[in-house]
Amino acid sequence: MIITLYDFELSGNCYKLRLLMNILNVPYAIHPVDFFPGREHKADWFLRLNPFGQLPVLKDDDLVLSDSGAILVYLAKKFDTSGQWFPDDPAVTAEILRWHAVADDITATSSAARLALGYSYPFDIEKSQMGAHRIFRILDEHLWFGEKSGRDWLCAPAHPTTADIACFPYVMLSEEGGIGRQDYPALRRWTDRVRRVPGFTVMSGIFPAGPAKS
Amino acid sequence: MPLSLSDPTWYPIASSEDLPFRHVYHGQLLGRELAVWRADDGNVNAWENRCLHRGVRLSIGINEGQELKCQYHGWRYANRSAGCTYIPAHPADAPARRIENRKYPVREAFGLIWSAANDDQPFAPFPGAEDHDWFALRPVPVNATPEDVLAGLSRLAPDDQPVEFIPGRAVTLGSAHFFVQPVDAARSVIRGILPEKPADEIATLRYYNEQLTKLRDSLERAAAKKPAPEPLQPVFEKVSVELSTMPDIAVPRGNTFPVVVKRKWQSADGVIGFELADRDGKHLPTFQPGAHIDVHLPNGLVRQYSLTNGPGDLMSYTIGVKAESASKGGSKVLVETVREGDVLAISEPRNNFPLRRDATRTVLIAAGIGITPLLSMARFLDKSSLNYELHYFARASETMAFSSELDVLHGRADRHIGLTREAIKAKVAEVLGQYQFANHVYICGPGAMLEMVQETATALGWPDEAVHFEYFQNDKTIDASSAFDVELARSAMTLHVPAGRTILETMREAGLTVPSSCEQGACGTCLTGVIEGEVDHQDVYLNKTEKASNTCMMTCVSRAKSGRLVLDI
Ligand SMILES: N[C@@H](CCC(=O)N[C@@H](CS)C(=O)NCC(=O)O)C(=O)O
Ligand code: FES
Repeated sequence: MIITLYDFELSGNCYKLRLLMNILNVPYAIHPVDFFPGREHKADWFLRLNPFGQLPVLKDDDLVLSDSGAILVYLAKKFDTSGQWFPDDPAVTAEILRWHAVADDITATSSAARLALGYSYPFDIEKSQMGAHRIFRILDEHLWFGEKSGRDWLCAPAHPTTADIACFPYVMLSEEGGIGRQDYPALRRWTDRVRRVPGFTVMSGIFPAGPAKS
Repeated sequence: MPLSLSDPTWYPIASSEDLPFRHVYHGQLLGRELAVWRADDGNVNAWENRCLHRGVRLSIGINEGQELKCQYHGWRYANRSAGCTYIPAHPADAPARRIENRKYPVREAFGLIWSAANDDQPFAPFPGAEDHDWFALRPVPVNATPEDVLAGLSRLAPDDQPVEFIPGRAVTLGSAHFFVQPVDAARSVIRGILPEKPADEIATLRYYNEQLTKLRDSLERAAAKKPAPEPLQPVFEKVSVELSTMPDIAVPRGNTFPVVVKRKWQSADGVIGFELADRDGKHLPTFQPGAHIDVHLPNGLVRQYSLTNGPGDLMSYTIGVKAESASKGGSKVLVETVREGDVLAISEPRNNFPLRRDATRTVLIAAGIGITPLLSMARFLDKSSLNYELHYFARASETMAFSSELDVLHGRADRHIGLTREAIKAKVAEVLGQYQFANHVYICGPGAMLEMVQETATALGWPDEAVHFEYFQNDKTIDASSAFDVELARSAMTLHVPAGRTILETMREAGLTVPSSCEQGACGTCLTGVIEGEVDHQDVYLNKTEKASNTCMMTCVSRAKSGRLVLDI
């Protein structure tokens, strides 16, 4: 029984899964998909795996899953013995899913701007950038007041959850879409904290943070 | 009034709490981006947000505690001075001392971090500032001109309570003070502070945040309706390729500066510690691990002492001096006559013993007073969480200097006390082990110890490049058989150096004043620039790269391979 990730190295959505599997120590194989410039995610064989023609796809034995947020939950429920990454509590579950939805909005804005600038996708750059700034403002405010009340992560628990993983990559990659984070100091501090989670791993454009100890 | 790049006003650029442990804050003032970071010693640095190497933002770099490391090619910059301390592409060389990032004045006060575009104005608190323990509100960035934002803030005042403008684009509304940080021509941040911590912190913070957010939205709606002013165009200084690839070849032409002896204490039996600081409390020049300074003694002698300091530790230099030393009366003067409060002249730090930071394992071997440069190295490696082990050999535990300093290191620091020669040799062989790729050993101690470690390392397969020494003495036999001419470019004279006489002696006989100290090619004092001709290097001061560069020489022992040398003197 081996997990296969249909992966594009430069995709932030695929990176979410590599990140959580690394943190949870889940072994997996990679099946590279030439998203750019090959557009392999629109090839017949891939559409049979995911009719939406989107990366990532994860195969666990015969089970084929798509959508990074859904797969994060699957991985957490199946492999996270600590129960921290997707806790059972109803309120926390709702909270996490709320931020998974925000993560999709971040993909639709920050990632779209990046695809337009770096991969010549025909997206409206300015509209994508403005959309990302609108979300980042709210994120920064949420995290700033979180710090004031002793909450370091997106959701209430005293530890990170899949919500933090889901929102992280396209926040970190926003500069590639021309979206600066200078105006979001609390958001920047949160990215330091995520990068210090044990088991953290990098991708192109996302650097490690130094250790927070003397 | 329109924004000016040279506006000398102090503005808040962050809240104190924006600089948590080991974080790099991304700020901007008057069009210039800033990398702002708090070092472990509490000092706040506000630097131009560009690595001198490729212009990469330093705000994405790593705060290593006392140095900031660029994320791209790993250039490291020291706390306080912003001097470059390490260039990974040239791991065996100390960077040229002129590589220093641009820094801006910075102060932490009233819950905020303040900065200014230049040093033209001293930092002055706003009226009433000193009377309170200020509480910072959530800063609110606004995409509008600082002028419009200030006007918008003043409109928040209720009719019966007129707003009061205070210097530096600020207003008071009741007891709350609001400052407008001019980020750029069309970008601002509102930074509010209250004179004291409110009873219900969160509710108060939420209240002001909501007010300011509403103001922001209305200001941005208005700004969208008119043409945005052009962003400010700051100019950046670049570091030339030559400078960045040039190792630190120092030509100390008697360049000294005064320092005051801040502390003098007995560090161990026979070892006196001296802490030397700037007289006005400013920071001292950047140094790299392994560096030493020339100390000009009251009796006219010049002696070299290694710095023991850790990274970014520039408020004073600490050296260790051996009390009963046979060194021609140099250390004796320091130990016996120099007292706390006395002023001494020292040179800028020079480094003939650079530390690589790309080793997988670093072994530091110190004997006796040789601990001083190795303590500095251990402190640097410690802060960067690099793998090292320090072995300190001494006759008796009472003679081990800087013991408490060693105790606080996180890495391995073994003390070996009272071993016989044979036992020392066996211990050295044991700690070195068979050579492995990317291992490096650094040794400092008496000449016999250096030779023994070198022989042992060679026998265990360690290549020369992996074995690093600092000589305080040149034991080589000097070959003074050549005869040649030296042309002194700046003094406009040509001298003949016969066999058996040194260049230094010949120059002195001709009436020139040239500094020297050890006169055996070990201390670096007589270092002289070479303009033309091929040098026959016989010193132990210059490293291989420096010798190969053929741009400088030690005139006390080195000679010419060519018939003529042109010196920059
Ligand atoms: N909600 C999906 C979005 C995935 C997504 O947008 N994937 C990108 C690659 S990062 C993609 O395949 N885009 C191609 C497309 O949508 O046609 C998820 O989180 O997995
Ligand atoms: S005087 Fe010491 S090296 Fe020349």
